[in-house]
Amino acid sequence: MRRETSLFARLALRISLVLGIGAGLLVTAAWYYARAAADDAYDRLLLGAALQMADGLTVEGGQLIVNLPTSAFELLGLAGRDRVFYRITDPSGRTLTGYGDLEANIDPTTVRREPVLESGRYKGEAVRIAVVSRALADSSAPGWAHVVVAQTTEARRTLAGELTLRASVLVAVMSLLALAGAMLAIRYALKPIERLGAALRRRDPQDQQPVTVEVPRELGPFIASINHFMGRFNERAVLLRHFVSDAAHQIRTPLTALSAQLDLLDGDRLDETARQHLYRVQVRAKELARLTNQLLSHAMVIHRTETAQLQPVDLVDVARRAFRAAIPITVDPDIVISFEAPDEHPIVSADAISLREAIVNVIDNALRHGTTSRLDVRVCIDDGSARVEVEDDGPGIPPQEWGRITRRFETSKSSGGSTGLGFAIASEVVAAFGGGLSFREKQPGAGFTVVLTLQRTIEKNV
Amino acid sequence: MKRLQALFFGESGRKTASPFSGYCFSGCALLAGMCLQLCSALALEGTTKSFPAVGPESVRLAIHGATDLSAMEPLIRDFQLTAPGIAIDYSDFVTNDLQKSASEACSAGAGQGDILLSSSLDQLVKLSNDGCAVPHLSAETARVGDWAKWRDEVFGFTYEPTVFVYNARFVPPADVPRTHVELADLLRRRLDYYRGRIGTFDIRLSGVGYLLAFSDAAQPTTVYGRLLESMSRAEVVVHCCTGASLQEIASGRLYIGYNMIGSYAYAAARSNPDLRVVVPRDYTLILSRGALIPKTSAHPDLAGRFLDYLLSERGREIAGEHAFFFSEDGPLPPDVDGPTVLNESSGAQPIHIGPALLAAQDEAQRNRFIQDWSRSMIYVAPRK
Repeated sequence: MRRETSLFARLALRISLVLGIGAGLLVTAAWYYARAAADDAYDRLLLGAALQMADGLTVEGGQLIVNLPTSAFELLGLAGRDRVFYRITDPSGRTLTGYGDLEANIDPTTVRREPVLESGRYKGEAVRIAVVSRALADSSAPGWAHVVVAQTTEARRTLAGELTLRASVLVAVMSLLALAGAMLAIRYALKPIERLGAALRRRDPQDQQPVTVEVPRELGPFIASINHFMGRFNERAVLLRHFVSDAAHQIRTPLTALSAQLDLLDGDRLDETARQHLYRVQVRAKELARLTNQLLSHAMVIHRTETAQLQPVDLVDVARRAFRAAIPITVDPDIVISFEAPDEHPIVSADAISLREAIVNVIDNALRHGTTSRLDVRVCIDDGSARVEVEDDGPGIPPQEWGRITRRFETSKSSGGSTGLGFAIASEVVAAFGGGLSFREKQPGAGFTVVLTLQRTIEKNV
Repeated sequence: MKRLQALFFGESGRKTASPFSGYCFSGCALLAGMCLQLCSALALEGTTKSFPAVGPESVRLAIHGATDLSAMEPLIRDFQLTAPGIAIDYSDFVTNDLQKSASEACSAGAGQGDILLSSSLDQLVKLSNDGCAVPHLSAETARVGDWAKWRDEVFGFTYEPTVFVYNARFVPPADVPRTHVELADLLRRRLDYYRGRIGTFDIRLSGVGYLLAFSDAAQPTTVYGRLLESMSRAEVVVHCCTGASLQEIASGRLYIGYNMIGSYAYAAARSNPDLRVVVPRDYTLILSRGALIPKTSAHPDLAGRFLDYLLSERGREIAGEHAFFFSEDGPLPPDVDGPTVLNESSGAQPIHIGPALLAAQDEAQRNRFIQDWSRSMIYVAPRK
């Protein structure tokens, strides 16, 4: 399964990773330096104490006398809890005082030049060891006396730990600030994409104009591709529509001639079977004519919805004109037909011609497939919307078919010779004007109703 | 034990009196060592007192202390009230014996004391430095001042000045010394009257005596040198312990005691009106008696509990009433001649518990210091 990733998440993850690794490195470095600093600080104390002890060595009457200054131990005591071990040896290597088993692996020639510091272990504990030597010229055994001072490393570790902790807090704060800054920056940088996305979402599905949202340079090719693709698609669509309307137009002329020729055929002179065939041919020819008209109408309506500017339109006016156009003079006189409109004329934003065509199609459909004895066309208004309702007393369309019949060339009945374009045209038109087509089921006291809903624009009294 | 020590003084006295006294020191040390071993063996067996548990006994705590039983007893009894199931064996040691037995127990990995109490702080610090102690952390130990604890292993639980004690029957008011200088001058002025009548610690035997002498010698003034000289001229008499000196003073054989531990001195003065306590006004060494839980302790938790008791308000209150009398923030007990309060501004010099005391514990240093001291005090012995 592929997870949907977001640019923000990807960037945030990688930046966090980099910051995290950076912080880790910094803390490691801080720990290293803190240790070095702590060692350096306490090494000085240790060395100072060792030097003081060495300073306390005196020779009296040929005897090497150890005089350990208290201050040396006080100096070591500055390290708080740390234990102190020392050993003082005379030139022969004999331990004069201190811990006899305290050893330092130090080259005696080095320590004669300068004091030596090293790390080691004593009594099972990590210790830091300082060794200083002192030349004894006038003792009974001339040579070098050594002072070895060792101290446990608790204070060093504590100091290093504290320093590292403080540095870590700083690093953590800095990292968090950097992360927050980066997140803000990413959000800001991704804004144009969101804007573009929103613009594309907001776009009318019929709108095939090039996208004109302001975007950063990096998104330019993306937009160009969209526009290029849309342009080609549009060209194709236009070509296809032209083809359909051309084809319909081309078909209409011979079809009219064909109908005329059929009308000239005298049914009376035909035998029964031929008359029936003729009748069927006439019906099919009429259907074909209607379909051709609808295709033309559809092409016209789509063209207009794309190109015509939306204008405030008086819905009652349009509906009335559609009503007149849709009801043929030859309508069955037994059918009761009515048109109702409110006193207030709702204004909608639409193209009058397309809208009329849509309503005509709905009424035509009702007349052809619904109505048995009555057809009511009403214009109603609500707070924010206006509706055109076409109600008939026919059997209606079952709800499960409602979705299907607004698609082209679908019909509620497989037989009956419907072309099915009527609802598709109406639906596309009102959708282009921000409205919708819906159905209301047959109920006691009310027939099956097709409802065209449109948003009202500013109140205007006509 | 007392008899043995007297015997030892006699022995060392005769030896040091000889013209070769300086060279015979090692021999003395050997003898002393033998004696100390004998003493400590006796101390272990002879001076242990058992305090049965107040309630049914659940556990037994062994305290090894270089602290007079009379001072510890009220504290132990009160502690047992708070912990009825605990029986306590209290063994009294001289400081050096305590150190010796503890350090042997440490290297052997097994010992008998569950908690050590000693006024010889340098020895406790040395034990802690050698890794012979276990740390104890609690709310009570957190309140102990930094100067009175080290490594959370050594804790000072008292505040005891070192004082002069005199017998008012023999020391006229005009003679009463109130500073170290006055004492030195007094001994010079009335040498004949006070010859052989001054008592102090024998630092060869007493760890705390050595620590006090070492701290005296570390004073920036030259007073101690003068005092040492005066005391040696006055043929000072040395004892293992404050208690022994106090007995001598009470009986009138000695007139003045120098570097006596204040709490014992005050306890003695309360029961004997002739004894008077002076807290020196120039400087007063303050001892904070130390406690340490040895690594070999069989009941470190229990020892920690006892330690917490000693450091607690209740423990300090009992100690102030019955055992150690002096406190860091309170006034001096009544009838003590000294500054009104005992703090750093009035010359109190607490002996800080810390690695600086290791300087006192250095073997070579200690031997030489004791050797020098012994040479100065050479007159002492024949009179004893």
